[in-house]
Amino acid sequence: MFEILEHTADIGFRVRVRTLAEVFETAALALESIALETGAIEPRQEYRLEATGEDRESLLVNWLSEALYWIDGEQLAFHHFRVGGLAARRVTGWGAGEPRDPARHPARLIVKAVTYHQLRVAETPEGWEAEVYLDI
Amino acid sequence: MARQFQLESSDGLRHRIRKHGQMRTDVVVYASEALLEHIRQDLSLEQAANVATLPGIVGPSLAMPDIHQGYGFPIGGVAATDLEHGVVSPGGVGFDINCGVRLVRSTLSETDVRPRLKELVDQVFRDVPCGTGGSGFIGVDSKQLLGVLEQGARWMVENGYGEQRDAEFAEAGGMLDDADPDQVSERARTRGRPQLGTLGSGNHFLEIQFVESIHDADAARAMGLEIEQVVVLIHSGSRGLGHQVCTDYLARMGPAMKRHDITLPDRQLACVPIQSEEGQAYLAAMRAAANFAWANRQGIMHFLRLSFRKVFGAAARLALIYDVCHNIAKHERYVVDGKKRDVLVHRKGATRAYPPGHREIPQAYRDIGQPVLIPGSMGTASWVLAGAEGAMRETFGSVCHGAGRMLSRTAAKKGRNAREVQKKLEEQGILVRSETRDGILEEIPEAYKNVDEVIEVVHAAGLARKVARLRPMGVIKG
Repeated sequence: MFEILEHTADIGFRVRVRTLAEVFETAALALESIALETGAIEPRQEYRLEATGEDRESLLVNWLSEALYWIDGEQLAFHHFRVGGLAARRVTGWGAGEPRDPARHPARLIVKAVTYHQLRVAETPEGWEAEVYLDI
Repeated sequence: MARQFQLESSDGLRHRIRKHGQMRTDVVVYASEALLEHIRQDLSLEQAANVATLPGIVGPSLAMPDIHQGYGFPIGGVAATDLEHGVVSPGGVGFDINCGVRLVRSTLSETDVRPRLKELVDQVFRDVPCGTGGSGFIGVDSKQLLGVLEQGARWMVENGYGEQRDAEFAEAGGMLDDADPDQVSERARTRGRPQLGTLGSGNHFLEIQFVESIHDADAARAMGLEIEQVVVLIHSGSRGLGHQVCTDYLARMGPAMKRHDITLPDRQLACVPIQSEEGQAYLAAMRAAANFAWANRQGIMHFLRLSFRKVFGAAARLALIYDVCHNIAKHERYVVDGKKRDVLVHRKGATRAYPPGHREIPQAYRDIGQPVLIPGSMGTASWVLAGAEGAMRETFGSVCHGAGRMLSRTAAKKGRNAREVQKKLEEQGILVRSETRDGILEEIPEAYKNVDEVIEVVHAAGLARKVARLRPMGVIKG
């Protein structure tokens, strides 16, 4: 679903999925897996996520920044993400998870932010592909 | 593959890329031939050339010898923009607003500390959290946070987290004026508040070091540095608060750029006119985040003091030598082409280096120049320099900020085992404690350029003078 990409100072990931909605869902999970050990997270609660953007790229960056805020700011750990509505300039959805317990969900890296560095969201013959780099 | 640039080298230290295409000015790179080989391998030169396209840029787009690929701006980049007609770019400051370094001297020598090093490192590891668990030990409420955002290190000192002298010996007195907490979003406050007094992860650290060599006896004396003395270097920034401020304003800048009719080769360079509403709002929020960072490093120093006291008793005293920021945009004045210019200096992974006599340096250092603190990689060395005249003439009072990464984090981890790395460092007399396994592997010394080579360039170019080389004994990491 996603693989980690190299960068001299930071880290990125590539997502290969069937639909654009899955790009958003999988990319959020990829971001979380860089920040936390995700193995023990249970989908006990659901939290609404929402982002706007002027184009597909900024929509993805702002959606991921939204997910990062809930992870780092509100200390939540997500089991999965779902997109409910996806339009050209707006995406809504939710993350299913639980309040983060550092003992069960230890940190891997503190992710500072989502960047536009070599950002790519593209339709391919097989589906959709995206590449995102994070500042850590 | 990195784009190849034609470099004109005059003296083996300064290398120029002539302006071409959309560039409004030249790029000047400070590097040795050996460092240049590394620099050419990633996107840093292309990024420095992109910075040269910023509207209102004054003088060249500058690249320090530790330059490496970042986002939009290269890390190790300096760009000054005209205060009236130029732009401000949040990417030119970075997500970690006022990431910086603080050097603390102790009254102990290496001989005093070595026998109890393990005890000390473990104590500091307990007292100074990295924040991977979500919060630190300083619980400020929303009202107190306002004080932190407005007054930085000074608020901490006034509220029991330091000594009066601590704030005086930080760049800008540990507090930037005209910080406006109202421009800092609720999200940024929520994200940052519990993280006050925590180190963070990535390349942030706290190192217990000793003075291994002294290269300028007068400057070392003025800073209170002696051979074999134990010092502590703290490298941290504005944590989630600063990251969120940058994220918030980058999201606002995209649409604002269209309104101001600005187009750039890289979206991460997003910028707006300094004098626009968005520009002023960002700068006011950035200053508040910078103050949060100074408060953060002050808080860390407070807990460090407690650790030293617990292990060595009340006689073990710690004093601040200096605190510098290396991710910031500041209003400063320079003579450019014979004329005084008011500029906004963006330092993205670059350190201010004012020369002797500058009125913004504490009186104690007025004759020697501003202390410049350059952390090396884990397990090698760090440097104390003093700012020199060359930096005022050529680099908007700026020098490098570190060794500069060479290997990606994934490459650093390949084929290595955290315990083995830890053991190898232990054999060299360096104890490492990390909250995460990856924290050790990703920051192995081999991942970085040689800090001594970087320092040689800065010294030889007359941007700053070598004062002392510091060697690590204990490392605390996220």
